[in-house]
Amino acid sequence: MTLPVDPTIAPPGTRTFHDAGGIPADRWHADQTGETLVPTHCCFCGVQCGMYLRVNQAGKVFGVEPRNHDINRMRLCPKGINAYQQVNHPDRLTAPLIRRYRDKPFQECTWDEALDFTVAEIRRIQEVYGADAFGMLGGASLSTEKTYLVGKFARVALRTRHIDYNGRLCMVSAAGANKLAFGIDRAGNPFSDILLSDCVLIAGSNVGECFPVMTQYIWGARDRGAKLIVVDPRETPVARTADLHVPLKPGTDSAFFNAVLHVIVRDGLTDEKYLADHTTGWDAVKAAVENYPPDRAAGICGVGVEQIEQVAHWFAGAERAMAWHARGVEHHSQGVENCLSIINLCVATGNIGRPGAGYGTLTGQGNGQGGREHGQKSDLLPGGRSITDPEHRREICHIWGIPEDELPLAGTSMMEMVHQMRRREIRGLIATCNNPFVSLPNHHVVKEGYDTLEFHVQLDFFLSETAANAHVVLPVTVWAEDEGVMANAEARVVKHNKAQDPPPGVRTDTWILCELARRLGTGDKFAFSTSRDVFEELRIASAGTVNDYYGITYERLEETGGIAWPCPTTEHPGTPRLFEDGRTYHPDGKIHLQAVAWHPPIDPYDETYPLSLTTGRTVAHYLSGNQTRRLGALVEQTPRPWVEVHPSHGFSNGQPVRVVTRRGSAVYPALVLESIRPDTVFVPYHWPSPTAANILTIDALDPRSKIPEYKVCAARIEAATTLDEVPAPPTGPGRVAYPETQVSRTDPRPPTAPQGLGTAERDWSPP
Amino acid sequence: MGPVPQSSDAPAAPAAEPEATAAAPRPRPPAVRATLVASAVALLLIVAIILGSRMLRNFDSALLPYAVATVFLAFGVTYRYTVWVSEPAARRLLRQGWRTLFSRENFRKAPTALPRMIATYLGFQKFLGARSTARWAAHQLLFWGCILAAVITFPLTWGWFTFTSATGPGPSYEMRIWGFKIIGFNSADVIGWALFHGLDLAAVLVIAGAGYFLWRRLRDRTATTGQRFGYDLVPLLALIVISVTGLLLTFSAVFLHGGGYEFLALLHMVSVVFTLIYLPFGKFFHIVQRPAAVGMQLFKYSARQDEKLFTCRRCGELVDTAPYVENLRGTMRDLRLDFDEWAEYCPRCKRVLRGSAYLTRVKRGFK
Amino acid sequence: MMGRTIFIDPGRCIGCQACVSACRECDSHRGKSMIHLDYPDEGRSVASLPTVCMHCSDPVAPCAEVCPADAIQVTPDGVVQQADTTRCIGCANCVNACPFGVPKIDLAAKLQMKCDLCYDRTSHGLAPMCATVCPTGALFYGTLEELRTERPGVEVADSFTFGDTVVHTGVAMVVPADKVRWPVPGGLPVIEVNGVDVR
Repeated sequence: MTLPVDPTIAPPGTRTFHDAGGIPADRWHADQTGETLVPTHCCFCGVQCGMYLRVNQAGKVFGVEPRNHDINRMRLCPKGINAYQQVNHPDRLTAPLIRRYRDKPFQECTWDEALDFTVAEIRRIQEVYGADAFGMLGGASLSTEKTYLVGKFARVALRTRHIDYNGRLCMVSAAGANKLAFGIDRAGNPFSDILLSDCVLIAGSNVGECFPVMTQYIWGARDRGAKLIVVDPRETPVARTADLHVPLKPGTDSAFFNAVLHVIVRDGLTDEKYLADHTTGWDAVKAAVENYPPDRAAGICGVGVEQIEQVAHWFAGAERAMAWHARGVEHHSQGVENCLSIINLCVATGNIGRPGAGYGTLTGQGNGQGGREHGQKSDLLPGGRSITDPEHRREICHIWGIPEDELPLAGTSMMEMVHQMRRREIRGLIATCNNPFVSLPNHHVVKEGYDTLEFHVQLDFFLSETAANAHVVLPVTVWAEDEGVMANAEARVVKHNKAQDPPPGVRTDTWILCELARRLGTGDKFAFSTSRDVFEELRIASAGTVNDYYGITYERLEETGGIAWPCPTTEHPGTPRLFEDGRTYHPDGKIHLQAVAWHPPIDPYDETYPLSLTTGRTVAHYLSGNQTRRLGALVEQTPRPWVEVHPSHGFSNGQPVRVVTRRGSAVYPALVLESIRPDTVFVPYHWPSPTAANILTIDALDPRSKIPEYKVCAARIEAATTLDEVPAPPTGPGRVAYPETQVSRTDPRPPTAPQGLGTAERDWSPP
Repeated sequence: MGPVPQSSDAPAAPAAEPEATAAAPRPRPPAVRATLVASAVALLLIVAIILGSRMLRNFDSALLPYAVATVFLAFGVTYRYTVWVSEPAARRLLRQGWRTLFSRENFRKAPTALPRMIATYLGFQKFLGARSTARWAAHQLLFWGCILAAVITFPLTWGWFTFTSATGPGPSYEMRIWGFKIIGFNSADVIGWALFHGLDLAAVLVIAGAGYFLWRRLRDRTATTGQRFGYDLVPLLALIVISVTGLLLTFSAVFLHGGGYEFLALLHMVSVVFTLIYLPFGKFFHIVQRPAAVGMQLFKYSARQDEKLFTCRRCGELVDTAPYVENLRGTMRDLRLDFDEWAEYCPRCKRVLRGSAYLTRVKRGFK
Repeated sequence: MMGRTIFIDPGRCIGCQACVSACRECDSHRGKSMIHLDYPDEGRSVASLPTVCMHCSDPVAPCAEVCPADAIQVTPDGVVQQADTTRCIGCANCVNACPFGVPKIDLAAKLQMKCDLCYDRTSHGLAPMCATVCPTGALFYGTLEELRTERPGVEVADSFTFGDTVVHTGVAMVVPADKVRWPVPGGLPVIEVNGVDVR
């Protein structure tokens, strides 16, 4: 019965000091003398905040220091602050893993063994089933050099048409819309233009959580008197204080924006001179929006007529207005149309190509912009060239030194490739920088597709859920161990610098692809030893195209802190703002307006599935979570997924709730919030099966961009008894995920708010 | 900023007391009472020295400066202590600690709690291990080194210890306290060696511990933040000077036939005297304060035994023990901090209630 | 209000907890975050409130006053330091007396810890870690003039009421122009919580 003498009692939230820096606090000594600061950028989202990595005398990254780069002006989000902890993380893979069969455990092996096996399997599959039977998947968190190399490797070394990348899950709808309307695929204005705007419209973007550092620009605009309009089914952190928050029903975006344009036309607020001088297709658009009077749209969207009128009047009435959109409008079976309806709105009001007036898409991945420009997309070649355009093919074949008939044709999109895997049209796969087991929709289909593969090699620095299902895993560098460029959401090319040498046994993606190419007999086309070598070829390969990088050099990037393409010569200052001369990149220089008709989401609602399920991010995690679910502070902030429901459903906070869709079901703790539409539920997607949101989502694709309809499907919710548990992140053989970081992972509670657990709510510890 | 806070360590704070910082002001302490008490203690010590050294017969006049310094030390410590415990927070906690200690409940229910707490907090200082293992180890070296040195030198200085040899210059000695024989030993055996070299041993322990802390204070940013020379570095330097000169004295006697002995002895004496006089005012005062941790812990422990726990009025989570919260509210009222009712809410609820009040009454949104 | 200090504007806060992570990166308390981030409108909105030490100036630092060990020092420029490691006995008086709910306590280490305005950084001319990284400026470090340069016409308040007591602080909060003369309500007396009278 004797009580332990120690410790005594203290109130909640005052006594938790979980280690969060990867080093237990009582073993940390801040006696780092002679540290160096390496300027670089964050590896995470498309804002690409500048940061310094702190490197100690032993040459190891051990911390982060804010950097006054003009993108972020010292600001960082929790992901960026903790990013450095990946570099010397105990979960890192440091030797290739190999197994002949999926039911056998992985074994560590030598590089020769792993590469020989990989090459043998590539040869075997391609000889028996044809070159296209081996596919490749890249990623948009790779540096632009590496994405260029991925595209070239697939076409030149593998000679397969089946190459795509995870940007297909991210911003291809915006890319499609941009190309159609402007003939150039990038945001029209830099972030700094937001500060000059009088009305900022944010559509389908949880800026406060997905691009936290960008919030400073929006707040800066409001400080100067700008109106903020947020269109989002949830009252997100930026929506909470917005001058107008339009909580529309998921999947109704184009109806809403058509209605807004309807009001603008009706009330004579269009900029007719601009439309006449700079656009084609306005009459068709005008006719199309005629069908969307506000009362009809209000019914479709579940919002008030007055909100539609208000948005129209504020946006059209502003001297300078801007619209920024993200996955919320893009992740739809009519994602391209949704983006076009927003472009129509900007163009009709003459808000294009002026300081403080324009539009932009917020790329989600670190290199979401750069990653889609240089040829890892199934239908594109470097410099944003089309693989179906004979002239473009000829140019690239010339640069690469291959005969034109050897350049494969256009391939299929990522989700379509999964279906081809199921049908055994694709039998082998090499993939880098993606984790489709968490990120692709309709998880059961994805798992089936990957399980059908005869051979699967995955490159990663942590063993992702997808890599854990592969035959061969090749350990690669993290961003701080190699240099390279990325382009952020403004299309500003920034340079990441190398802060430390990779651990022994780890190689760069560049080395691996070049080495594989050599073994496949095309080594002469891949004589790259550094990222700089690749970049020099990329400059030439993009010269003269819309995505012109020719004038950008590593030296210039280091001097300037970033250059926005197009930049055709080494004297050119770059192009932060597009269309200032009123010309687009179409041959006629006009904006090609496209009429848009709304259609309902693909997954029909009925009595069994009456609700909309929408998915998205939370601030502490990034994409599939393979990186952030291993960082102690981020796990502690948001240990697990939840289902966000309106109180009208009668659930209590923390109660296990099963979310059921036509594809599957999962049980999450309820986060009961008044700030979500009663007819909508939300699940964040960063966690793997059985708690993966993508068990539930539909794999319907936009016919043009082939983006999956992540943001809306029909669902129902019901009370459940036990929660599905979040599994530990996979690790190499004989290891467990670094326990210091996983303490809160099994916390059954939902977060206090979508942004995470409040600091006083973290006292939970495993029973 | 209000008026520059006055130091509660006044009036005797020497230059070593950090200039840059000062404790928050409180009601003027009864300096007169403190002076009286301190003078009485100093007088008592003088009497004890005289009696203990058998009317100064055993008193070594060469050690006079040391003895005088200890009298100042007694005065200083008592003065500071009296001032300290007459402030509301310390006074109330002290009273509660003693009350718990002498309560019948405590003796009946947890007779071993006090000895265990003394051993863990004051002896082995387990709590330091939770801060850093290396710091704990270094502090243990320092602590036991100082204890050993004090146990040997204080009685010697006061003439309470004598080592006499019936046979002239040894090798067999008798150790006497207040003239009474305690043990007889041979200077060549282990006990004899340890007794004669106890101070050297203490010096080695102290040098190791203080050396680590000094190194840390020069390199570790945890330590260098807000570090003050007088407060943080002087004590370490003083201990190192004392120990090094002490060791050199032995070295001089054994190897140099007394070369440089007089200078070293003077330096040693100056450093010791300085340290003793400085002790009540700077960092070393924690030696006197630390036992309060035991009192505090015992006070809370006893309430936990009786399950007198206090939960937050809003969220129902444990805050602390009920007698503790009552004691704190009393302290706050003494200090005229009239929001003592607030102590019934846990810190989180305080923040949340303030946040709600801001949202409802100041501004809800951006503007 | 101090010269250079933190200005808190919960209206700008997006609750991202960058401050919480950044606080851990401070060398003087690496791995331990001193800042609090609460969601005070739980269940209703995603509103959030960052809490750093308010560095009370009148009464000077209630935490220091209730400290039985004189462990909490106040620098002449008004920064209330965290507990002196040698003196602190881990009694939690400061934890429970602080009207803003700021100090933390490491029970095993018998040590109070709290925001000291990143003394290791501010004393070298750098802004505190939390205010440096804050993506929204909800935590701003500088002088009032510097704040007004960035946010024209902004008003701040540096006094808070707790019942009948007014506490003046070194850290200030942003308030609307018509409320600048009022002390900001500190939450006491409690009238109701989520519609339920707690008395």
